[in-house]
Amino acid sequence: MKAMKTKNRTELLPGTLEMLVLKTLSIGPMHGYGIAQHIQQLSADALTIEEGSLYPALQRMLVKRWVSAEWKISANNRRARFYTLTAAGKKQLGVEASRFSEMFGAIARVMKAT
Amino acid sequence: MGSLLRRLLFFFRRDRFDRDLQDELRFHEDMKAQALANDMSGDEARAAARRRLGNPLRLREQSRDAWTVLTVETFAQDVRHALRMMRRDPVFTVTALATLALGIGLNTAIFSVAYGVLWRPLPYPGSDRLVIVSSSQRAERGVRTFWTWAPVTYEAVRPRVAALEDLAAYSSIDAQLTGRGEPLQVRALDVSPNFFATLGVAPPRGRAFLAGTAAADDDRAAIVSDRLWRSSLNADPAIVGQSVTIDGVPRTIVGVLAPDFSFRPVVPRLGALPETDIFLLNRWPGDTGRSAFLFLLGRMKAGVTQERAQAELGALVNDPSIAPTGALAPEGTLAPNVRILVRLVGLQEYGTESVRPLLLILLGAVSFVLLIACVNVANLQTARLSARRGELSVRMALGAGRRRIVRQLLTEAVVLSLLGASLGVLLAWLAIGAALPLVPPFALPRVGGIVIDGRVMVFCLGLSLVATLLIGFVPALRAGGAAFDEGLALHAGDGRTTGDRQGERLRTLLVAAQIAMTLVLLVGAGLLIHSFVRLTSVSPGFESNGRGGVLQTVKVVLPERLYDGPERIHAFARGVLDRVRSLPGVTSASLINSAPFGMMFIQTDFDVEGQPKPALFAGTPKIDPGYFSTMGIPLLAGRDFTARDTAGAPSVAIVSERVVRECFRGSPGEALGRRVRLSDPGDWLTVVGVVADIHQRGLDRGLQPMIYVPFQQERGGFIRFVSFVARTPTPGSVAEGIRAEIRRAAPDLPIDSSVTMDEAVAASVAPPRFRMWLLAVFAITATLIATCGIYGLMAYAVTQRRRELGVRMALGAGRGDVLRLVLARALRVIAAGVVVGLAGAAGVTRVLRTFLFGVTPTDPIAFTIVTLLLIAVGLTAAWLPARRATRIDPCAALRAE
Repeated sequence: MKAMKTKNRTELLPGTLEMLVLKTLSIGPMHGYGIAQHIQQLSADALTIEEGSLYPALQRMLVKRWVSAEWKISANNRRARFYTLTAAGKKQLGVEASRFSEMFGAIARVMKAT
Repeated sequence: MGSLLRRLLFFFRRDRFDRDLQDELRFHEDMKAQALANDMSGDEARAAARRRLGNPLRLREQSRDAWTVLTVETFAQDVRHALRMMRRDPVFTVTALATLALGIGLNTAIFSVAYGVLWRPLPYPGSDRLVIVSSSQRAERGVRTFWTWAPVTYEAVRPRVAALEDLAAYSSIDAQLTGRGEPLQVRALDVSPNFFATLGVAPPRGRAFLAGTAAADDDRAAIVSDRLWRSSLNADPAIVGQSVTIDGVPRTIVGVLAPDFSFRPVVPRLGALPETDIFLLNRWPGDTGRSAFLFLLGRMKAGVTQERAQAELGALVNDPSIAPTGALAPEGTLAPNVRILVRLVGLQEYGTESVRPLLLILLGAVSFVLLIACVNVANLQTARLSARRGELSVRMALGAGRRRIVRQLLTEAVVLSLLGASLGVLLAWLAIGAALPLVPPFALPRVGGIVIDGRVMVFCLGLSLVATLLIGFVPALRAGGAAFDEGLALHAGDGRTTGDRQGERLRTLLVAAQIAMTLVLLVGAGLLIHSFVRLTSVSPGFESNGRGGVLQTVKVVLPERLYDGPERIHAFARGVLDRVRSLPGVTSASLINSAPFGMMFIQTDFDVEGQPKPALFAGTPKIDPGYFSTMGIPLLAGRDFTARDTAGAPSVAIVSERVVRECFRGSPGEALGRRVRLSDPGDWLTVVGVVADIHQRGLDRGLQPMIYVPFQQERGGFIRFVSFVARTPTPGSVAEGIRAEIRRAAPDLPIDSSVTMDEAVAASVAPPRFRMWLLAVFAITATLIATCGIYGLMAYAVTQRRRELGVRMALGAGRGDVLRLVLARALRVIAAGVVVGLAGAAGVTRVLRTFLFGVTPTDPIAFTIVTLLLIAVGLTAAWLPARRATRIDPCAALRAE
């Protein structure tokens, strides 16, 4: 169950992490740090992932071929590994997103009931 | 799957992966530090960044985990770990590997023998449809089975039987090959033209015999084995079409068989004859005689059941208009009006009836040994695990997980068993190579099929799997148990918690079980040894080793074509014998047609004048005067034959004690002067002497009644075999001398055999001797393994109880008391095992009944000696740890570790 508490720091379960990473990469290729920054910024700091756990997740996605990786030169002239969303990854993103919104809707219905 | 492949590739690119990840993490750290540098100092920023990133080691593990194929990566890790642990504990490793190698190796060896002899498909296509035809009749004493048929019956039945694709006939003969170097006695088979067609075999060189109308030209054809071709015909590539002289008749070689072709005819009551060297085409022309000497080999049509074929053959055989019945079977006449039952025996099964029980018993025995071995190693492993409990608990605390630990322990067991199995296969290969030459000659039919090939290896792998399960499962399951939570505390010192006590009970039980099983094997071996001792202490009745020296015999087979009448046979025999008597080193010499402990024994029924016909069969050897004195057989009454008992003189005979006992009320005096008649010649013979009984056929056979007839008076001319017997202190040179004299008198006559009577008697007990050695080897192996088990158990117990023993010694127990304590504990375990073992042995040894001579399956001597032996060995094994216990320093033991 994907639970979110409204607090300063929220902890993510590994399943949602992958969904967020896929969504981030759907914007464009990014390196690991960039992905972490993006999620943090967009969620207004509410979602902080333990940045290290990003990398095993990225490897898992590499194995499942949802992303592909390439060493490139970054914006500030340093060598970094950039990840790109693949077609399979895009499809997976759609699957995860719809599953998430279903669950979210179900929770909301339960909470709305008086 | 593509991802699986990539994961496997990852295995090889691990280092690069690590480096890449490190670079990536460093990049992330730098960027983060840079971002934080706005709020804090450079160093602090870097430290904070590192903290945020998390534990790099854990990240690396987790990232790697995404790629690892569980079965490859972790298995490799486990294997490496297992090897490391084994290297660290050499005593355990060597003991366990040796035990497993012995257990698995023995099993593999015995299985390959059993498989090769009993179950390996014969080297002929569709061999499951090949059958041997036997006949049987109901007689007063049950059913009599005959294995041979008359040519007339064969010729009548063959074209008419629909259930069989083909029916061939063969007859085993000894033939003499001359004209190519030294004259040779060869094993030959007279076969019908369709013999090879029935087998489904064609010689690669040349051709098989022709069947049908073209076959008439083939009458003098012969097909040789590869062996004979290489040894006696110089492997001449142009051999096809050449001629060899067999029994004085030139035969044309039309084919040479493949090197791996094998046909060993099985003769009832004798066993499996050696490989056939030459196959001679025979149609038994004009043999309308009714003597039955042909074996029939048939190939059943596909889809036909044995019952149907048997029924059809039975109908044909019993129909007098088709097949003449009343054929003469070797043992006597087929009763004319009694229905003949036909029985088909699969060619694979035929001939194995005698060895099958022994092989199955052996298989059972080795399974016992393997069980003992596995139990022992499992025991050692359990003990070792208890010692490692601390280490394993720590690993679990660090996140290994119970399943991982269990998997690792199982991997250790797999590695151990596979290594043990490899050593075992090597052992088996060596053992078979060493033991096969020692097998008694006619005992095992398909010796050539005993090889360690793919199927045997699969069996061996299966064994090692069983071993793995036994060794790995039990300790691993215990390791995963609740006892682990106490592991860390236990690591600090010795302990006797409930978990440990349970383990101890299990280990003790396992060792007691080993001892029980070992005792069963030891009892079996003891019985066979006792039986063998009894057997060899039986006196054969003659003096094989006496004052004048030993008895040397040389046997020849006189072919009919050269010795077609009694005069020529007698002239040859007398001539050679006279010259042999004057050879240097010969104390005395004589001859006989069927020497004791030889392969041959002719017996017949006989009549006594003035009495109803005795229900007895007597041996009827033809001897030269002086036979009894040469052989050292005492004369009990009357006289020996002399030179005056010539062909023209009144016919005389000498009978043995048994005849006197059965027919003359046990009084030799009564027998003298009476007349007996052997059914063959039909003359009445006057009894002139009585001699002591001898064992003519075997030490375990009873004393045969014998009626001896002088060689010179044998008028039937049926003496084809002559054994010259000489008493001499120098058997080797005398044997050579006799052979030279024979060559002088008959240059073309091959020597059949030359052995001393001692050798002949020893050869006759070769089967029981072999069986004895086999079971003894098993029993000794099991004892060795059980000894290791006791040692391991006591050593570990002493280690575990160091504190307790230290306390006792500090409280005043002396060395002797400690020794007694440990030994008493060992004795309790041994005694428990012995009791169970004795009960088991009393039940199990029943299966050995057929192999015992003069000994019952519950022979008290064997049981007692073996039990005492095992107890002594067990206590000796416990002695070393007991001694070590007495050396415990109480202060050191009491100190907490």
